[in-house]
Amino acid sequence: MHIPDGVLPPQVCVGGYAVTGLATWYSLRQINRRENPSADVPKAALMTAAFFLASSLHVPIPPASVHLVLNGLLGVVLGYFAFPAILIGLFFQAVMFQHGGLTTLGVNAAMMGGSALLAYFIYSCHPIAKRWLGEQWSRLTFAFIAGASGLGFAILIFLGLVITQIPTGFDAQMERTAIYGLALAHVPMMLLEGFFTAAIMLFFYRVKPELLPD
Amino acid sequence: MRDQPIMRRIRWQHLGVLVPLFLLGVAERAIAHGVVMEYTATQAYEITAAYDTGTPMAEAQVAVFSPDNPSEPWMTGTTDAEGRFLFSPPSPGNWEVQVRQAGHGDVMVVAVEEGAIADTPSDEPADTAAADASAAAQETAAEPPAAQSGGGSTQAFTGLQKGLMAGSVIWGFVGTALFFSQKGSLKKR
Repeated sequence: MHIPDGVLPPQVCVGGYAVTGLATWYSLRQINRRENPSADVPKAALMTAAFFLASSLHVPIPPASVHLVLNGLLGVVLGYFAFPAILIGLFFQAVMFQHGGLTTLGVNAAMMGGSALLAYFIYSCHPIAKRWLGEQWSRLTFAFIAGASGLGFAILIFLGLVITQIPTGFDAQMERTAIYGLALAHVPMMLLEGFFTAAIMLFFYRVKPELLPD
Repeated sequence: MRDQPIMRRIRWQHLGVLVPLFLLGVAERAIAHGVVMEYTATQAYEITAAYDTGTPMAEAQVAVFSPDNPSEPWMTGTTDAEGRFLFSPPSPGNWEVQVRQAGHGDVMVVAVEEGAIADTPSDEPADTAAADASAAAQETAAEPPAAQSGGGSTQAFTGLQKGLMAGSVIWGFVGTALFFSQKGSLKKR
């Protein structure tokens, strides 16, 4: 899922940093408007640790190794804190394990963090279904959709970027086939992340509902 | 056997057309049927590509860029099932090797030293070298110069080192969480 150094042209990397800068500024502004902006920092720090570790848990689905991303979960649990949390997590993954890269940090953060914010918006629509499903089931359903689509959106952005930016000298058809294979391998991961997000959300909802964003 | 008379007829009747074509080298392939195979002992560099999980990058695409032309690949090919790829650079310098599969990949610079190059003249065009890459791997005596292995683009850490690194980062996050939760509780008082 992480785009490494040297795969994307410099313009795209700069564009990624621009989008990430804007999104970070917007997220921090939203956080700063809260009554106590640092209240959610402990939760965000722990979720960042989980995000940092998640990419080390590999699931061997050919043609490439697939790992948990958990960006949908971060979106659901953290709200606007998800974007800076993912940015920090990605930075440490790139520095420590060369997972992703520093030149593509902006692109990766925009890809995963942007999808996390989308997941948050999807989850925050849960009161719509409350009338039919009840409080808990509507939350669960929306957490599942948010968790799965958080990864789904990230895959779509990844696909779009990587397919349009195949450098000259590589067999584009072969590369495209490999990319589609990788995207298909992520479909079971989407379901897994959906279930995982719903389970964590349920845990928070039962144990400490005030930890969840509105 | 039926080909022969037709060939002869063409040769004699259209000699005026065929000779210029021959000179241009267009008809060369169509007429020549003999195959000449040769082998030369050369020195090659073996690239091994694997995912950070240790799984080899099988059938990944490889592009090799010469030191003189960093935009057009000098040679392209694919790795074998073990993620290996052989190439023999004709001149010293920093050769850039890019491996890519499904959006995953890496760039590595192979520093080819002066003494590492074999003296055999290599005026072979890059395209045929690419097409024969796998064959060359089997036919030529591939001897990496003094079996030296270049530093990979990423250092390989042992499991313990990785665990320690991950642990220290996690501790940083947990410490941040503890610090801010304490600050919050102080505020309440």
